[in-house]
Amino acid sequence: MEVLKTEALSKIYGDGESKVTALDHADLSVEQGEFAAIVGTSGSGKSTLLHLLGGLDRPTSGKVFVENKDIFSLKDEALTIFRRRKIGFMFQSFNLVPTLNVYENIVFPIQLDGNDVDEAFVGEVIRSLGLESMQNRLPNQLSGGQQQRVAIARALATKPAIILADEPTGNLDSKTSQDVLSLLKVTGQKFSQTIVMITHNEVIAQMADRIIRIEDGHIVKGGVRNDESQ
Amino acid sequence: MMFTDKKLLARLDKMLEDGISGTFSESDYDETKLSQLESRWLRYLTSSKLSYQKTEQEREKLKELVSDISHQTKTPLANIMLYTELLQEQNLDVQSRHLVDEIRQQSEKLEFLIQSLVETSRLETGTFQLSPCEGDIDRVIQSAIEQITPKADSKQIQIRCIPESCTAKFDSKWTQEAIFNLLDNAVKYSPECTTITVGVKAFELFACISVADQGIGIPEQELPRVFGRFYRGQNVREQDGVGIGLYLSRQIIEGQGGYITAESNGRGAVFKIFLPK
Repeated sequence: MEVLKTEALSKIYGDGESKVTALDHADLSVEQGEFAAIVGTSGSGKSTLLHLLGGLDRPTSGKVFVENKDIFSLKDEALTIFRRRKIGFMFQSFNLVPTLNVYENIVFPIQLDGNDVDEAFVGEVIRSLGLESMQNRLPNQLSGGQQQRVAIARALATKPAIILADEPTGNLDSKTSQDVLSLLKVTGQKFSQTIVMITHNEVIAQMADRIIRIEDGHIVKGGVRNDESQ
Repeated sequence: MMFTDKKLLARLDKMLEDGISGTFSESDYDETKLSQLESRWLRYLTSSKLSYQKTEQEREKLKELVSDISHQTKTPLANIMLYTELLQEQNLDVQSRHLVDEIRQQSEKLEFLIQSLVETSRLETGTFQLSPCEGDIDRVIQSAIEQITPKADSKQIQIRCIPESCTAKFDSKWTQEAIFNLLDNAVKYSPECTTITVGVKAFELFACISVADQGIGIPEQELPRVFGRFYRGQNVREQDGVGIGLYLSRQIIEGQGGYITAESNGRGAVFKIFLPK
């Protein structure tokens, strides 16, 4: 089942002499439960692509479909709500609320949406990420790796359509990075969570089921999954 | 029943909640739209429950079928192997010997295939439970290496192991099989007189076992597909194999909360198994 699809997605900044085409007719699709990595060097257009996939920015032309919904047909307010319900974000700066403890941070997006917390599911997520003993701690009492584990739990807790991870281990040392990515990978497998990760790091990208390569705003490899893999 | 919007939404919310927890029943029977909706909701819930039960029944049937195949093919296949061996002991001319050798090779392949398919199916349907418990990784690696050594020796392939004492939670019998499958692949796709390196690396939450060879490597576009069932790479079609080993290894490792990756830079391939600690 296709969860995410783009059609001729383009983003152009500026015009005239200063015109920069950050993304040029990008077509890609991601299936339910897939862990895809978008790999490119700095300036390749990968961050622009991630911002468009997550509805954080609007394209110059082209479309993004999440669960068959053309997300840019939504007005700003609806898009914000859509993002809250359907997309889980992970950034290299962990973006936890400093005054909330670990548990409160994890359930925060659920409560923001006015929903009751599915305690059994959230408990399972917390256990899978080895956070049981840290639930009452504040973010500043945790190491970087532990904070990013909380961010994974927070992203999983709302059962989003997609988790978008932007250089999720950019602020971590290589050993901690490996552990955090391992947890992202195994929890993704366990909860059949679709994950799209952006990275410039080739080694990190190898963790994914599929590598989508982007160069100079063009998707050059891996935009569509080859179904022989299943 | 007369409802304000707020009350109506509260009732709909309760219907959903009860539906999720499996306790929904119709509150009343009258001519209102809500009463009709309740009836249709119950019908939907019943049909999904029925389709779930049907899936479970089909799964049971599949388990039985696999068990039958496994049981019923064992004796005839063992007999074919036995008679082939007896035939090999006879005084045969060169051409007949060649044909008998071929029968034996194909029988062994069939035996391996049936065994792997049965194991895969049993893992998939949950007939076999993996029981991970804390243990030393080095021991299970050594056992797998001992198992592959005769085959590696026949191609003069050296297996270098960089030992590191490290514990993880794993099922030793099945994990040994997963590691053996990686080694078997490495030996199969490596030229003679090369080296296969097995390494262990400990992280805080995971332990990584790597198997690196100096073989033909895997093109990048094929990497995600190598764990697919019956997948055979373009450049290995000439080699003997059925394409089930890596699939089975992935089932085993994922079944115990780990994962497996494949990397290749054109000069050999590196497979890594990550197990939770």
